[in-house]
Amino acid sequence: MSFTFNPINEEKIKKLWGEYPKKESLTLPMLWMAQYQEGWITPEAIRTIAARLELSPSHLFGIATFYTMFRLSAVGTYHIELCQTLSCALCGKDALIEHLGKKWGIRPGETTEDGRFTLSLVECLGGCGGAPMLSLNETYHENVTPESLDALLEGLS
Amino acid sequence: MNNVTITVNAQTLSAPEGSILLQVLLDNGVSVPHFCYHEALGVDGNCRMCMVEIEGQKRPQIACNTRVKEGMSIRTLSDSIMAVKRSILELELINHPVDCPICDQAGECSLQNYYMEVGLYESRIDRADKVRKAKKVDLGSHVILDQERCVLCARCTRFTENIIGTGDLVIANRGNHACVTTFEPQGLKADGYAMNVVDLCPVGALTSGDFRFHQRVWFLKSDPSLCHGCARGCSIFIDHYPQKYGDDLIYRYRPRVEREVNGFFICDEGRLSYKNHTGDATLTTPRYSGTAITLSEALELYHQKLAASGSGVVALASPSLSCENLTALRDYCLQYAIPLFGVERGSFDETFGDDFLRLNDRAANRSALPLLGISEDESEMNAALCAASLVLNFDNQTPVSVDQIHFCVHPIDTRELQIPIAPYTEQSGSIINAFGKVQKFASTIRRRHPVPPLHELLSTIKGLA
Ligand code: SF4
Ligand code: SF4
Ligand code: FES
Ligand code: FES
Repeated sequence: MSFTFNPINEEKIKKLWGEYPKKESLTLPMLWMAQYQEGWITPEAIRTIAARLELSPSHLFGIATFYTMFRLSAVGTYHIELCQTLSCALCGKDALIEHLGKKWGIRPGETTEDGRFTLSLVECLGGCGGAPMLSLNETYHENVTPESLDALLEGLS
Repeated sequence: MNNVTITVNAQTLSAPEGSILLQVLLDNGVSVPHFCYHEALGVDGNCRMCMVEIEGQKRPQIACNTRVKEGMSIRTLSDSIMAVKRSILELELINHPVDCPICDQAGECSLQNYYMEVGLYESRIDRADKVRKAKKVDLGSHVILDQERCVLCARCTRFTENIIGTGDLVIANRGNHACVTTFEPQGLKADGYAMNVVDLCPVGALTSGDFRFHQRVWFLKSDPSLCHGCARGCSIFIDHYPQKYGDDLIYRYRPRVEREVNGFFICDEGRLSYKNHTGDATLTTPRYSGTAITLSEALELYHQKLAASGSGVVALASPSLSCENLTALRDYCLQYAIPLFGVERGSFDETFGDDFLRLNDRAANRSALPLLGISEDESEMNAALCAASLVLNFDNQTPVSVDQIHFCVHPIDTRELQIPIAPYTEQSGSIINAFGKVQKFASTIRRRHPVPPLHELLSTIKGLA
């Protein structure tokens, strides 16, 4: 499986290239671009970025695994990132996990068999006022209940 | 740098201003537990184990990241600093599996030593609650990782990143899940210097796939020696075990610090070359026509052949023989008017050298040849070999088409006469490296039926020829 940045990303890289004193500083932006482009950071993307920045692939891997928002395995078409931090924990995130478990038979970190949904637990997303909350493909949904979650998921193609 | 005076536990020390406090303390024999600092790798300040009390500073400081100043007063033994060290050690050990009985590092482990020095508390964590990680990861290049034993000091990753520059090793993930790993499976290569991380690792996390489980370290004896793998002549320790009812066997080589030559490290090929110099790898009895014979039978044959060849005898010396052996051989050849050459074909390996330690010249003592007046003239040697009827070959690998008598370390696949001589690992002597440095090596390893070094053998056959 080979990896190349698409023309839009290549354009962004070109713009950023001269903006930092060290090439190394492009590590995070390039990892983000790879993740948005492929859905996750593939081993080939790590090798490619490492070669471009003249870093070791192991070094890149260390950075990609340090930040939990980087994904090192594929996720489903719909990615539910459910907040597990204090406010959401107190206001009922467990009931949501349990609900999805019953509905799809998956636990946090797993993907449904048809590859449509992945459930991940994340730390505070700054939406505490609407706890419990989740982010569905990077759109926030607050004050979530099992019922409102069902309604939300119904609406998806 | 100016020298300044500091006080350590009421003892007065003098040290260069601005030098690393931890190093000064260690150099002066003051014990300060530490994991991440290593003289070859520099300051990293990540383990926090090296805490000391400095007069006038509110909180304990890490000695590795403190520079020496005039009049500093340091305490490493007060009750309060001992309590601090104990707490830090407890944290370091919180997820440690404490499987010392099955750990190869036991007996040479910083964690064990520090526990005896500053620890000695009852564990407050239940064994069942410890974080479990991989117990046996093959990182490549004979290096095996036990992630549970790792204290995350980053010595190994700093070695591949900063010393070798390949960056093969990395600490992945974070918090409880942090662990040393490689991106590619078995991705540790470090340009042929990988096994140094085993020596650097202060605990039993990185062990040598070649050595682990073969011998407990407290049974081993260490002799200071020199690797003969190339013309650098790196300083090594030969770790060996004198068996009660068998030969004294070598289990490993380890680097010995020699700033001018190899620093703190050796190459993997040199490290593993002990295998060629121990146990069954070397020739122990003379052989002729494919069968073992006694030394006196061999010497009788030697003299017969020598007498039969008259003036057609030529001698070849290995440029890896020690100065002592070469001197004895030169004198022997002079006495009996045998032309002697120190040229060895194939002893330059253009693929071996690099910009760190390894050199293309694979002979350990070539620099001694001109000093001892042993010829290195290849065309003269070729002419002499063409005219020769018998070649006395002293461990030289040059291919020769006339009848030979071999004085050799390793068994040779030939029906010709072979007389064993001791490898460098079983004798003492000196060699001169490519940069002209004269270095001595010493070994206490002796076989149950010792094989004599070349100079000893020559002194017994002298006069009979
Ligand atoms: S494996 Fe050893 S050297 Fe490497 S980080 Fe862990 S404890 Fe330190
Ligand atoms: S660099 Fe040469 S002398 Fe040093 S360990 Fe390697 S082979 Fe031996
Ligand atoms: S605790 Fe859930 S968004 Fe802050
Ligand atoms: S040795 Fe000083 S912090 Fe690790």
